[in-house]
Amino acid sequence: LLLSAAAEPWPENAALYQQLKEDQILLSDNAASLAVQAFLQMCNLPVRVVCRANAEYMSPSGKLPFIHVGNQVVSELGPIVQFVKAKGHSLSDGLDEVQKAEMKAYMELVNNMLLTAELYLQWCDDVTVEEITHPRYGSPYPWPLNRILSYQKQWEIRRKMKAIGWAGKSLQQVLEDVDQCCQALSQRLGTQPYFFNKQPTELDALVFGHLFTILTTQLITDELSEKVKNYGNLTAFCRRIEQQYFEGHDKDSSAAASARSAKRSLLR
Amino acid sequence: MAAPMELSCWGGDWGLPSLHPESLTVMAYAKFSGAPLTVNTINNSWSTPKADVPVLISEDIVISQPAKILNFLRKQRYNADYELSAKQGADTLAYIALLEEKLLPALLHTFWVEAENYCSVTKPWFASRIPFPLSLYLPGKMSREALNRILLTRGGPPLYSLTEVEAQIYRDAKECLNLLSKRLGTSQFFFGNTPTTLDAFVFGFLAPLYKVCFPRVQLQEHLKQLTNLCRFCDDILTCYFRLTVTGHSPSGQDTADANLQKLTQLVNKESNLIEKMDDNLRKSPQHPPRKITTLKLAAGGEESAPISRLSP
Repeated sequence: LLLSAAAEPWPENAALYQQLKEDQILLSDNAASLAVQAFLQMCNLPVRVVCRANAEYMSPSGKLPFIHVGNQVVSELGPIVQFVKAKGHSLSDGLDEVQKAEMKAYMELVNNMLLTAELYLQWCDDVTVEEITHPRYGSPYPWPLNRILSYQKQWEIRRKMKAIGWAGKSLQQVLEDVDQCCQALSQRLGTQPYFFNKQPTELDALVFGHLFTILTTQLITDELSEKVKNYGNLTAFCRRIEQQYFEGHDKDSSAAASARSAKRSLLR
Repeated sequence: MAAPMELSCWGGDWGLPSLHPESLTVMAYAKFSGAPLTVNTINNSWSTPKADVPVLISEDIVISQPAKILNFLRKQRYNADYELSAKQGADTLAYIALLEEKLLPALLHTFWVEAENYCSVTKPWFASRIPFPLSLYLPGKMSREALNRILLTRGGPPLYSLTEVEAQIYRDAKECLNLLSKRLGTSQFFFGNTPTTLDAFVFGFLAPLYKVCFPRVQLQEHLKQLTNLCRFCDDILTCYFRLTVTGHSPSGQDTADANLQKLTQLVNKESNLIEKMDDNLRKSPQHPPRKITTLKLAAGGEESAPISRLSP
């Protein structure tokens, strides 16, 4: 399957599917989508963002975002990076083996801590669940389907949190974990423009996706974004990538649009 | 410092101080940082705690998870990471995340889910250390929790059956072991010559995999080919735990020859593994084998074997 994928060049009509931007998409999915968009921009591969209410069900793995390229459908950043590599584009070819190991380790750190913290906040913090998550997640559907789907998803996420030992954590502990993760990222980034100095890699795309979303999404409190704002080099990193890869592109670009949309507070 | 600290954890066997990865991590860290811990292994009496092991008890404070226990020890000024730079501290966190995401599922599977391993090794071992009738229930519960964790974190579409999930987690675990091996290289520990938190975690995860004699051993076989990781575990066992390493091969020159043979095989297998990991396309160009800098291949006979092995 991948052999045939490699033979075709990247088509003009490649599409990235996510949930509806204004009303439905949640923090964690927005972060994932932005990470993939940033990655594709860094590889110079054009993709248009398509918003669909049922995107989650169209995805082959149930997770978002997914891209539709030619007649292939690939979801999630990891498989998309491999798919793009099979087509001959890679951001991490210039790294040596130890650096590649480091890059993979840091990507796991972001998934292990940041993404899990986002999921915790969205689905296990009762206030956020009632006021933001349930209304948004079920918004395309009529009552009672919206409530049923929300509760089903919440139950699924809470089971997972319990299995990995996060169910017993308090919100403060989760925020401390976020802080620890941001501190590690900040220390690793240092004063460099990107994590592996001159050239961005998929790690930069992933970190940008999560941090930019955290910084620009309005939640019940600002505690989450404050944790990230404590680290000046991380906010500068996000601004740099936004300016370089998202501004000046067509108005449909999701990151630029989301930075302007009313629901999000802007990066200062 | 003044207050005595007691650690309750699972005991050991097969040359290890403990079979339980988290217990082993804490014990290793205590040795590295010089913390005076009295270790109580769990036995058949009802007084020792069974859940949430390892548990550190210091006067009235009870702490249960490895990360929290290590934090507590650091606050008590038993800090093995004293000399690390900020970036190295960040790397520690990242590599621990890598271990938990990529290696832990396969480790749990090898111990608790793989039927032959569980029934012939894990269950009898743990059951013998738990008082009746809890011994009938607790190992089963630990096994179900392990399977649950694997399925919830790694299962789900497009992997629809348990065998597909198993294949994926073992692939990820082997890749993780390769990455660790590359990162360790030829140094004694991950950050130079003194062991740190990361060494404790890696040791805690790898040593049980390395030493316990299981009937189904695919991950162990892979680990044994990564000789620098095996050497890392053995070093820690001999230096910090003063346990003699009961090797499987006879001592002396035979071991050296056997190691050399294993190394030439390792070079081939590693380059094949690197192909599979990095290239999904089958028509990638063949890479020449990497040389391991520490040991030099013996001249003549040893060299011809790897070259002939390369052609697919």
